[in-house]
Amino acid sequence: MRYLMMQKAGGAEPDAQLYADMAAFVEELTAAGVLLATGGLDPAGFKMTSVGDEITVTDGPFTEAKEAIGGFALIEVRSREEAIELGRRFRKIVGDGESLIHQVYGP
Amino acid sequence: MSDLSATVGAVWKQESARIVGGLLRLVHDVGLAEELAQDALVAALEQWPATGIPDNPGAWLTTTAKRRAVDHIRRSRTRERLAPDLARPPEPAEDDVLRLMFTSCHPVLPAEARVALTLRVVAGLSTAEIARAFLVGEQVIARRIAAAKRTLAESGVAYEPSAQLSSVLEVVYLIFNEGYAATSGTDLIRADLCLEALRLGRMLAVLAPDEAEVHGLVALLEIQQSRSAARTGPAGEPIPLHEQNRGRWDQLLIRRGFAAMLRAREAGGPPGPYVLQAAIAVCHTEENTDWVRVTALYEALERLVATPVVRLNRAVAVAFAYGPQAGLDLLDDLRTDPQMAAYHLLPGVRGDLLIKVGRPAEARHELQRAATLARNTAEREFLLRRAAALDVPDERSRLLGAAVTAFLAPLGPATARAYGQTLHRIARLAGDRTPLTGLTAARIAEIFAVSWPDVSPRTWNRHVAAIRSFATWSGSPSLAAALHPRPITAAASAPRPVVSAAASAPRSDVERRGETPLRERALWSLLRESGAKVGAVLTLNVEDLDLDDRSARDATIVWRSATARLLPELISGRTRGPLFLSDRRPGPGRPPAPADLCPETGRRRLSYERAAYLCKRATGHTLDRLRSV
Repeated sequence: MRYLMMQKAGGAEPDAQLYADMAAFVEELTAAGVLLATGGLDPAGFKMTSVGDEITVTDGPFTEAKEAIGGFALIEVRSREEAIELGRRFRKIVGDGESLIHQVYGP
Repeated sequence: MSDLSATVGAVWKQESARIVGGLLRLVHDVGLAEELAQDALVAALEQWPATGIPDNPGAWLTTTAKRRAVDHIRRSRTRERLAPDLARPPEPAEDDVLRLMFTSCHPVLPAEARVALTLRVVAGLSTAEIARAFLVGEQVIARRIAAAKRTLAESGVAYEPSAQLSSVLEVVYLIFNEGYAATSGTDLIRADLCLEALRLGRMLAVLAPDEAEVHGLVALLEIQQSRSAARTGPAGEPIPLHEQNRGRWDQLLIRRGFAAMLRAREAGGPPGPYVLQAAIAVCHTEENTDWVRVTALYEALERLVATPVVRLNRAVAVAFAYGPQAGLDLLDDLRTDPQMAAYHLLPGVRGDLLIKVGRPAEARHELQRAATLARNTAEREFLLRRAAALDVPDERSRLLGAAVTAFLAPLGPATARAYGQTLHRIARLAGDRTPLTGLTAARIAEIFAVSWPDVSPRTWNRHVAAIRSFATWSGSPSLAAALHPRPITAAASAPRPVVSAAASAPRSDVERRGETPLRERALWSLLRESGAKVGAVLTLNVEDLDLDDRSARDATIVWRSATARLLPELISGRTRGPLFLSDRRPGPGRPPAPADLCPETGRRRLSYERAAYLCKRATGHTLDRLRSV
């Protein structure tokens, strides 16, 4: 099963150690065949709203910095527990903050 | 507490390969390594409630297990022998994992033991999980794993296995297919096997990055898996590749497959079986499959692994590339192969092709036979539904003239002309308005005797083949019972059926007399001298040829003097494009692919069907028969 893990922005400023730890973590998950895709998100972004026939595009940013999604990882694991475990290791590396994790259905 | 054991379970599945692999280096025994690792798991369950889960639980388990391994070694009598290892600098964990895979996939073990042990110690599945996936009792798997560990220990290959990568690849592919072949019912668990195989393959790709075949296997698995959602219908019935909803293919996995394919190419070397299969899978991701290319890839694959299944798949590809009749011709060889006797896909494929050439009665028979052989319920029902849906008129109630017309209608022009000559004659003499039921084998034999008293054996056999085919189609094969093919050469001792008789004398008089056009003479000569596949020879281009060396395509096709004499005249100054050209320029309706068009003459490449027809008409033989003599 696949899970999309989204990291909220904010938290501690990344230092060299964090970059190194993250790189090692990403490499390990790739080697284990678990990490399918990952990336960081531009906090600006834009928003599309549809009301009736009308579609509006609004440029961001929209929320408190700490509420915006800063990055994502798409992982393929056997169980919810494995997803939690990987999430836990990720949070240990990045420190205080919040992740949202959803199971992905499809394609 | 149950949360904790779930966490420990998840950690174990993610880390077991590295933990057990590291222990294997210390203790040189897979069974013992796994036991020590399990001890560490028990320790985690005892200690983590108090200490909390460590930041890196895998590292904690590894350290704990290694400490136990060292204790064990100190205690054991093997201490002297193993002691130096403790002093060795730690090797990278990757080497440990790779060595563990070589061990659990060691060829000394039977395939099913390799599969079970690999899932246990590399993928970290429990005995119960493996048993569920393979639909057997837990005890069976437990015994299988125990026996495997014992065999490894006794044969002394538990630690320094010969690095047989092909054996590992085979196990990974077996695991994948076990999951992929199942299509319905209790299959969620079995589908998980595909995921396990993918993980193992991806791991292997990192561990052995220079091996093209590893990347080939990964590419193959990723691309096959990308279709998993689209390959069965709502009722679990299989959906053939070309009827699948491509929108449901997983583009992410396809892209990963392509990336793996590129890595395989970078690794270099001649393509092995997995790279070739992956290349075929890549062809099938394209909107319009290049069937000529697929055929060529299957030919290359068949040279490496000539299993009946590969040959069957090649026949399917040939049918798409060169017409259903060409595919059926290839299948004829396979029908006598004992390995194919109980394989439901052979009659299934034949049924499909027979429908396409307009022989519904035989098609129904084949589909029903396929259904009896199919082991999967959904697949069986699907085959039976197709068989039942075929419109098979009861020919026996028809009048002879109408039956002949109906029989000839779907045939290709060449066959229709050849068979028509025989059948129209019979219909004229027996009476167009005679019901088929009024016709007897004796009457047909009489007509033969009157109509063709002094013909050559070859001509006689052609008439016999026509009436036999018609009799089978009409559901009364006994109509041809009184007629027998005649031996073609004086040397042939007993009467033989037409097909094998054709194999005995490929060089016909017609061919020798030189009335045959140059192109045909060159083609037949090349087939005979090179022994190459018809498809491969027809796809030759002028620029592929090395006339001085009498070879083409890196000497995979070589010829001798007769062909060498004919080729220069055939090429007659052309420098590129298809070697064998059709007689006419293509009509505006069906433009050929650029590769099949001669840039200098504007004519298209000679098709398999046309070449087969010309050969059959002139010599009475199939092209393949020419090649094999």
